[in-house]
Amino acid sequence: MRRTTLTAAVAVLALTTGCGAADMTRQASPFANARGARTVTLAVPSWVGAQANVAVAQYLLEHELDYRVDTIQIDEVPAWDALSQGRIDALLEDWGHPEQEQLYVREKKTVARAGGLGVTGHIGWFVPTYLARQHPDITDWKNLNKYASLFRTAESGGKGQLMDGSPSYITNDKALVKNLKLDYQVVFAGSEAAQITQIRQSAKKKKPFLTYWYEPQWLFKKVPMTEVKLPPYKKGCDADAAKVACAYPHTPLQKYLNADFARNGGRAARFLKNFRWTTEDQNEVALLIADRKLTPEQAAKKWVDSHPSVWKKWLPR
Amino acid sequence: MTETLQPPARQTTADTPVFAVQGLWKVFGPRPERIPADPELAALPPAELRERTGCTAAVRDVSFDVRKGEVFVVMGLSGSGKSTLVRCLTRLVEPTAGAIAIDGEDVRAMDRARLRALRRHRAAMVFQHFGLLPHRTVLDNVAYGLEIQGVGKARRREKAAEMVAKVGLEGMEHRRPGQLSGGQRQRVGLARALAVDPEVLLFDEPFSALDPLIRRDMQEEVIRLHREEGRTMVFITHDLQEALKLGDRIALMRDGRIVQLGTPEEIVGSPADDYVRAFVRDVPREQVLTVRTAMRPAAADEAGTGPAVRPDATVAEAIEAVARAGAPARVMDQGRCLGVVDSDALLEVVAGTAPREAA
Amino acid sequence: MATITVFPSRLQLPGALRRPAVAKLAVLAVAAAVLVPLLNSRWTNGTWPHELTVSLTRPLTAASDWVIDNRDSNPLFLYFLGHVSNAVVLSVRAVYLTLLAAGWAGVTAATALVAWRVAGARLALGTAAALLACGLLGMWVPTMQTLALMAVAVLASVSVGFLLGLAAGLSDRLDRVLRPVLDTMQILPAFAYLLPVVLVFGIGVPAAVLATVVYAAPPMARLTALGLRGADREVLEAVDSLGATARQRLLTARLPLARKDLLLGVNQTIMMALSMAVIASVIGAGGLGDRVYQALASVDVGAALAAGIPIVLLAVVLDRVTCAAGERLGADDGRRTAGWAYVALAAAATVAAALAARLAGRLDWPDAWTVNIAGPVNHAVDWMTAHLYSGVPYVGGTADWAGRFTSWVLDPVRSALLWLPWWSVLLIVAALAWLIGTWRTALTAVLAMAATGVLGLWKPSLDTLSQVLAAVAVTLVAGFAVGIAAARSARVDRLLRPVLDVFQTMPQFVYLIPVVALFGVGRAPAVAAAIVYALPAVIRITAQGLRQVDAAALEAARSLGATGGQQLRQVQLPLAREALLLAVNQGVVLVLAVVIIGGLVGGGALGYDVVFGLAQGDLATGLVAGVAIVCLGLMLDRVTQPTRRRAGKGA
Repeated sequence: MRRTTLTAAVAVLALTTGCGAADMTRQASPFANARGARTVTLAVPSWVGAQANVAVAQYLLEHELDYRVDTIQIDEVPAWDALSQGRIDALLEDWGHPEQEQLYVREKKTVARAGGLGVTGHIGWFVPTYLARQHPDITDWKNLNKYASLFRTAESGGKGQLMDGSPSYITNDKALVKNLKLDYQVVFAGSEAAQITQIRQSAKKKKPFLTYWYEPQWLFKKVPMTEVKLPPYKKGCDADAAKVACAYPHTPLQKYLNADFARNGGRAARFLKNFRWTTEDQNEVALLIADRKLTPEQAAKKWVDSHPSVWKKWLPR
Repeated sequence: MTETLQPPARQTTADTPVFAVQGLWKVFGPRPERIPADPELAALPPAELRERTGCTAAVRDVSFDVRKGEVFVVMGLSGSGKSTLVRCLTRLVEPTAGAIAIDGEDVRAMDRARLRALRRHRAAMVFQHFGLLPHRTVLDNVAYGLEIQGVGKARRREKAAEMVAKVGLEGMEHRRPGQLSGGQRQRVGLARALAVDPEVLLFDEPFSALDPLIRRDMQEEVIRLHREEGRTMVFITHDLQEALKLGDRIALMRDGRIVQLGTPEEIVGSPADDYVRAFVRDVPREQVLTVRTAMRPAAADEAGTGPAVRPDATVAEAIEAVARAGAPARVMDQGRCLGVVDSDALLEVVAGTAPREAA
Repeated sequence: MATITVFPSRLQLPGALRRPAVAKLAVLAVAAAVLVPLLNSRWTNGTWPHELTVSLTRPLTAASDWVIDNRDSNPLFLYFLGHVSNAVVLSVRAVYLTLLAAGWAGVTAATALVAWRVAGARLALGTAAALLACGLLGMWVPTMQTLALMAVAVLASVSVGFLLGLAAGLSDRLDRVLRPVLDTMQILPAFAYLLPVVLVFGIGVPAAVLATVVYAAPPMARLTALGLRGADREVLEAVDSLGATARQRLLTARLPLARKDLLLGVNQTIMMALSMAVIASVIGAGGLGDRVYQALASVDVGAALAAGIPIVLLAVVLDRVTCAAGERLGADDGRRTAGWAYVALAAAATVAAALAARLAGRLDWPDAWTVNIAGPVNHAVDWMTAHLYSGVPYVGGTADWAGRFTSWVLDPVRSALLWLPWWSVLLIVAALAWLIGTWRTALTAVLAMAATGVLGLWKPSLDTLSQVLAAVAVTLVAGFAVGIAAARSARVDRLLRPVLDVFQTMPQFVYLIPVVALFGVGRAPAVAAAIVYALPAVIRITAQGLRQVDAAALEAARSLGATGGQQLRQVQLPLAREALLLAVNQGVVLVLAVVIIGGLVGGGALGYDVVFGLAQGDLATGLVAGVAIVCLGLMLDRVTQPTRRRAGKGA
């Protein structure tokens, strides 16, 4: 405790006497680069696919490139801010945040693009395939009102339930329900894990459900689902968040690095720029983590051991 | 913290009183200063005063002198204002009106530094519930007053150890107040007050929280200290026995006023009013009154014979002497016979029917 | 003699209550009779009228955008907030690096020695064991991160709190200003503090530390002021009578006399800081809390437990050691042993341990020494999910209970609250607050409740309120029952005491883990966590209140031949009324705090809005929800707060 006091006092003293400007948008995490070890801090989003990216990147950075990796769970939008401030070094899977990209990449130049992840993402509304077989016309949004009573639950009241997952995900669902005049209520499960639990419980009893879901996702292998067609996506139709009345786009997922890290991050930065895999690769690791309950590290090891040809190309020479 | 302000030259003569208090008032409540200023308000009885102004007068128009070397006792029931009065002397409680002088110097005119010097060097107080610092040892409690004055550690410890010995607590220097009995704690309080070597000791009901036996020990202790050092003492108590035992002079207070001021003998022998009379009714008069009360001029044949007693001997002592000799006793002062007391006169004192010539 | 004291108190109480109560209700009824038709003609719909809401979204979004745009250019940020943030980062980093440099052996040795010095050998062993357990669970580095953050936050909280408390303790005017503010801060849920700091500092350690300081400093300030004000008057008078200057008086008497309160303040600050440091993982505090947060997002109970156990161990160790240190210091037993020699010894031992570990190449916790509990725990949870979760014959599974609780209790309460016209909710709040307090409390409560409507969050606020009410009802029934049992049986009390001790020191966050395992996700687990969190305090206050009932009154009742039940109903409960009301108040405040955090496990309502605001960087939504939480907390406290004001005056 005495030592703490002393260090804190010295730190404060140094600060107040060296009274220059202090830009807090350029302060790294206090836990980074401890004891001379080169540390990379990666953002872990809350969905399993992105955790798979981080698990493999972390495993390779630690075992092939001798870095120490810190991971921080952080949601997408705050991650951009943290990335800009250098509190995290890399964001490996972004689903498209045009506003943030405009601000941080183009205007402030504190975040740098690091290429595509190699995976294309798509968000949509899904019903279980067993339900689609029973009612083939349910896969068109125009018929959803007809079936609203099928999806009624305790939480949605008199309306049909459209289940959404984590509050942090990109979603236009509330606006869609309103603008398409659907007799539905958006219910948030609170987290993706909760949503998956709900989906599996329903699937076990072959109950009908309508859910916000996305590809790539390992769960499709466990619970086959069919997408409900929304009015087709056209460029710019989702510009005004309140007036959206079209489907979600297909997004090639992007990687971003902190600008300083991209310039001075050495082998780690180059490695992360090279990191690029396929939907199948990601799903394989994600399934190991989420369904087989391996730790991310074990899952990554398993994948790394069986796919050397893929990751060998990522290592900087 | 070394305040070595020397008091300005005082005209201290032998008969300058240590404390001279004139027309002192202490009023609690909203705008207290208007009460002593307005003769009509000042004359109101307490209940009416509170009703009309919301104020309580704890001390009302009190005047007295404390002479050098005497034990001056202020005595009264709880709520009579005696504790407030003693706190006014060093302005622990700020007086509302009146004058206080210590050795002729105006206390109310003192600035903060002079007042601190007064409290540090000239008057020390002993409290009813001791007021000790529980986190300090006995020794450090006793040395506390010296520490406040800025005395060095070694010197103040030495002095404190001396005081601890003086009050009979040797061997307990390193205990904490929490480990002492009530009587021992008050000895620490006494030692703390003595350690700063003050001109006056102020006692605020110091023994009323103690058991009767221990109280008597402590009273003896005070008498012993007074006899040895001759220090001036102001002693507050609600216990008449204690007042009579310790006091050279007693001020009896009621509702903030002094109803009678006099020697124990005067208070018991000639109460000023019915309140005082009721107060002293149960006092064993023969223990307090002296033979002067019962003395008559000696008849010619009595001047040479019979037992001799001093003029300040109590009636009780004279009774014993008379009973032993079977004859009237002579009151002798430096070989001169002032008069005689016989059994009839002594009996009259005990019965309370004696003429009050000593008033 | 004593019987006389029993019966009048029983008979007088309702009588004394009745007259002013009727008067107050009559006033409210008149007010209602005048206002309600007026309001009804204007807004026929029962829900909060749209015209009475003020949307803060635009200005708050503008403010948030301004902050992001100007954070790297505005002088306020560059020359003040930037330095604050920098100081936090640097000091946390310094502590963290020191801890890492000492290595696991050094840290364990040093903390055990400190614990030995201040709290004795047994606690030293416990401390060492707890730290080793953290390493064993593979959580050494996160534990050190949390410790580093805590060290800085506690130091800052204690200094800030001490200075505030000093000011309030010495100046009556400041005390009058500060006291209600501190009292109110004390009842607010931790979650509400997160957003304002995020607005200014962004996500990350500085924001986490500052939120922790804001949350943990008030108890220190309150207790410092209390200690300074509570000092024995005669001692202070004695100090004055010896001619002490104001500074001497403060340094040698007032502060030492208040040391028990000061140490209690430090203890409370540490516990609150730990609780907050864990919750602040939501805004990027890192460390153990982050591991729990990550695990919760994937409902990985095993991983959550592996991070939760070190948190609990830290909490228990920190609490016990600071408590023991306080008791030793407060004991006045004159044991003051050589300090410097000991410090040197501890430093030497630390350095030796660190060097030994470094030479052995074991500075980091060896990977081989970790025990992976996540796997087995998850197996157990899976087994439970498969066998106990649903469809257990006769009793139903835990998920079924949760479902039933939702549809039979939570839904009806929520529907009822939403069905009530908004003005009648306000009237009920006014009536409750006025009956129990003064017109001032009633006014505060009504204004606070109305503010949630004005903010446009009437519905989610009532949703949160319905969860709070359900949780409080269960907590009180269970808490009073157990509390009465503990008060009546020494054995129950002995059994309960250590359990309550541990439960009361655990940070709020930890409670979310087991309930998710048992009840899945939704409002029911949030309510369950709230119940478990609030129960210990309610039990303890109830038992203490009943036990402290005047023994003479009880004896008198017994001498008249009262049965145990009669004694309880006629003597103990009426005489312990104040304690029971306090239990209700504490129960409500604690339940609210956890119901809000329940937003992380699907509790919805206001807590969800805060999570959403943080997750989407939509600070406007989060901040408005945060303010609504504050208002709700204020309202609930005022409605259940009995005599604290009167007691406060005397102190």
